[in-house]
Amino acid sequence: MKINKLYVSAIVMILLMLGFTYIAVGMDSKSAGGDIVNDLAILGAIVIFSATIIVAIKYVRQMQTDKATGKLAEDNWDGIGEYENELPIGWSIIFLGTIVWAFWYMLFGYPVNAYSQIGEYNKDVKISNAKFEKKYTNLTKTQLTNMGESIFIVDCAACHGLAADGLNGTAANLNKRIQVKSVEYVIEHGSDNHLSAHELATGMPVMSAGLTKKQIHTVAEYVSNGFDKSNKAGAKIFASTCASCHGADGYGTPYVAPNIHTFTPTLVAHIVGHGKHGGIGVMPAFKNLNPVQLKAVATYVTAISKGE
Amino acid sequence: MFHWLEKHPFLFAVGVFVVIAFAGLVEVLPNFAQASQPIIGTKPYTILEYAGRQVYIHQDCNACHSQLIRPFKSSTERYGHYSLSGEYAYDRPFLWGSERTGPDLHRVADYRTIDWNEKHMINPEALVPGSIMPKYPWLYKDPTDINTAYATQVAAAEFFHVPYNVPIPLKNGKTTIIPLAPNLAAAHAMALKEAKAIVDQGSDKTLQEDVAHGKIPQIVALLAYLNQLK
Repeated sequence: MKINKLYVSAIVMILLMLGFTYIAVGMDSKSAGGDIVNDLAILGAIVIFSATIIVAIKYVRQMQTDKATGKLAEDNWDGIGEYENELPIGWSIIFLGTIVWAFWYMLFGYPVNAYSQIGEYNKDVKISNAKFEKKYTNLTKTQLTNMGESIFIVDCAACHGLAADGLNGTAANLNKRIQVKSVEYVIEHGSDNHLSAHELATGMPVMSAGLTKKQIHTVAEYVSNGFDKSNKAGAKIFASTCASCHGADGYGTPYVAPNIHTFTPTLVAHIVGHGKHGGIGVMPAFKNLNPVQLKAVATYVTAISKGE
Repeated sequence: MFHWLEKHPFLFAVGVFVVIAFAGLVEVLPNFAQASQPIIGTKPYTILEYAGRQVYIHQDCNACHSQLIRPFKSSTERYGHYSLSGEYAYDRPFLWGSERTGPDLHRVADYRTIDWNEKHMINPEALVPGSIMPKYPWLYKDPTDINTAYATQVAAAEFFHVPYNVPIPLKNGKTTIIPLAPNLAAAHAMALKEAKAIVDQGSDKTLQEDVAHGKIPQIVALLAYLNQLK
């Protein structure tokens, strides 16, 4: 066999490759022989390189020696002809397959799977809600209180203050059930804190008829100071005017009047979820809180106000 | 028909650009025009709200507060529903902002009342311990520029056809009419009436007296503007 320049250069390149590999890793005893994965990777690299060179040589040889055969097509373009060969099977399959795929992609592939920012957002919300539900299904009272405290700091503290004292009348002082100002306001204006649809049949009517300003103030102080036993006058007015609905000690009557002695989680959750309009001002509804969060913040507020 | 173009590479390039640009316009513009329509519940600014918007821009509130709630769970949980492009239909210019040194304000009226904002702007740290927001005491003294606000409002109505004096649909199915004053004197009267409604919801006695005496401090306009951000 005649020695071909190609074969010589191929052998030289393979030897060079082996040489470079040896210089790069072989001289470092930790790289070669130290780790089976490294050795396999080096072996793989050599095999791929050798195979590439051998295949390349095969085709270059073929181009050097092949003689054109077959029937020429009748058409020719400026002297460049074309053989009447069959289409390669693989190429035909890919060509037809692409056409089919194009129709699928145009009609279903893109419209069904198209990306949208809002779509991603909705998916995100779904996942997040599912995670929340899974993690916080059966919460103990301590866990609820802790969660409620976090929510209070984020959503409530801006108006009610970190100490829940209402920041100088910016909002209600949550350390007590009700303030003098609020009691006076509901007696004079009535009250309907969206509770009618909740547990009460109707809102509270205006109760100031037959009471002087001073009497209203006295009873307000009585209620506000936790049904202060020393305030005899206030207790008397409460008994005659308020007790028939709110109960003798202000603990409320189901479906008639709410508990004004202590906060209850149901009441607080309802006010946080629906907002409130009262003597101190307007409280917005916190619609961003889900039922578990409402329950948590209500538990926390009830706890700090010495309720229950 | 366009055979001659092949011999003029520059003209050909220009032609290609025009054709592709036209295709782009056809794809982009209709969608854009639709998305920029006001959504139900988006109202044009009243005279006092316009004045408040000027105060907001003048004090550079948008340097620290964005007005764009992104569609991320973490954002919507804190600020409310993500912003829609139609909600900015009457904003010229919009005040999206790109810096959130303070919180986003796009729906601030959903969770902050006029009373709260009134107390907050004079001394933010009193309500939010550790707040880095500066105090704005001069807003409680400087008068509002109603003249410019009226000019802006008239310009919006004349040049951009912002719908004043016509029914605007609201989210609850009803409609409301945002009035445009026929002249400057009427505009001042209208602003004063609005200002009274705003300060009545707050608790600052000095502001209530100022308005009763026909003065409108800048804070009142700003409160009116913030109160419609929802």
